[in-house]
Amino acid sequence: MFNAEKFINESVLNLKEEITGKALIAFSGGVDSTVCATLVNKAIGKNLVAVHVDTGYMRKNESKEVKKLMDKIGLNYHFIDASEEFYKDLKGVIDPEKKRKIIGVKFIRIFEKVAKKEKIKYLVQGTIAPDWIESGGELRDTIKSHHNVGGLPEEMNLLLVEPLRDLYKDEVRKIAREFNLPVAERQPFPGPGLAIRIIGEATKERAEIVREACDIVEKEIEDASKKGLMEIPWQYFAVLIPVKSVGVQGDRRAYGYVISVRAVHSIDAMTCAYSLIPHEILDRISTRITNKMKDKVNRVVYDITNKPPSTVEWE
Amino acid sequence: MVKIYVVDNGGQWTHREWRTLRDLDVETKIIPNTTSFEDIIKEGIDGLVLSGGAPRIGLKDELGNTSEYLEKADFPILGICAGHHFMGRFFGGKVTPSKTPEFGKIELQLIKKDRLFNGVSEKSIVWESHNDEVSELPEDFEVLAKSESCKIQAMKYSKKPFYGVQFHPEVEHTEYGELIFKNFVNMCER
Repeated sequence: MFNAEKFINESVLNLKEEITGKALIAFSGGVDSTVCATLVNKAIGKNLVAVHVDTGYMRKNESKEVKKLMDKIGLNYHFIDASEEFYKDLKGVIDPEKKRKIIGVKFIRIFEKVAKKEKIKYLVQGTIAPDWIESGGELRDTIKSHHNVGGLPEEMNLLLVEPLRDLYKDEVRKIAREFNLPVAERQPFPGPGLAIRIIGEATKERAEIVREACDIVEKEIEDASKKGLMEIPWQYFAVLIPVKSVGVQGDRRAYGYVISVRAVHSIDAMTCAYSLIPHEILDRISTRITNKMKDKVNRVVYDITNKPPSTVEWE
Repeated sequence: MVKIYVVDNGGQWTHREWRTLRDLDVETKIIPNTTSFEDIIKEGIDGLVLSGGAPRIGLKDELGNTSEYLEKADFPILGICAGHHFMGRFFGGKVTPSKTPEFGKIELQLIKKDRLFNGVSEKSIVWESHNDEVSELPEDFEVLAKSESCKIQAMKYSKKPFYGVQFHPEVEHTEYGELIFKNFVNMCER
């Protein structure tokens, strides 16, 4: 069985040897990067610089919360709002692999800028097993290019350090619990963020819609599981499908987007079963989304596919 | 400690096989399928798992040195998906594209009692992901399990402790996956 304490001790020793000088950590505030930051912090202390990028595709209030978290852990950090740049770079981009690669490169260029200023050689990432497995290469087929692996540019000036490479999420959570991190049970959120929860072009307007929809899905499901109406899923969110359908809202014709509700059970993201959300909860989610989004969304559907054949996220 | 290596054929779940074995306190490592049998033997292993593979690899790929393992080994070998297909082909059976491929949740039905399925219910949930299948059983093999769309879900060689399974016991959603691995590990114990 995986032993978190043993892993921490060995990994801190290895990191002390591997990193000479300063290192930068790509910090999203999720379980993986927070555990990674804590580990590296233990190894090299103030020589670690955390960078959080607000891509414009974060969830509601997320970047604000991440700032608080970085303060709480006592990280030495930079907070960079690059949302307008990301919207601009993704303008007109529809292909999901292209989106992921543009985002991957963008992240690295931002990190390189900080690294140059602060004379940093190393880039620490919270990469875990499914990231490199699904990114493919050599024998393995590419399922999707994770921004931190398959999305990396061919040329970059930073040396990668990835202490969690062989772990799955459930094991990372064990370390997080060992460290008493508040994010230990947080649901996974992809690096490219809401950009891959918008099928087709990830415009700012669509990002606002899916951000609200994700917030409603999260709140309703968390509320339902607190009341014991359902088990908390591994991951639960909304996806914007850029197909318009006809509806009627207040005696007026409506012609808005479709939102899909997605919730799955898993321990490691390598296989998933769709979650059984009770109908009354689906009902509340549907009504809240369409009322809140007015004419922008007038249809809500529920994704009932397992992995395989699907994946958790739609892109 | 039992030593079982995982031969990587490029499957999405190769690393999951490694993890399942490690969680069962097996000494394990992922090795490329180009490793020579001599090098494997040198390390004194007790068993091998042949992983699943990249798409369509099961139909005709040579899977590196896998034929050498099947020819020379006398320790237990468990072939999974592409590894199972190769075992089927190597011993003279046929592998063809499935009429109905299976992805995700499927009901497995055991046909014959065997050590590999000790403690597994006659019907259970397994997770699948395949476009091809062993459609004709090789000589000296017997079928241990089937599903609605695939008649050879598990097979066993009568001359050596070799098994092939079409489904994936290494993933979390396969109901008795860990138990099946445990049974295999038990067989490898000397």
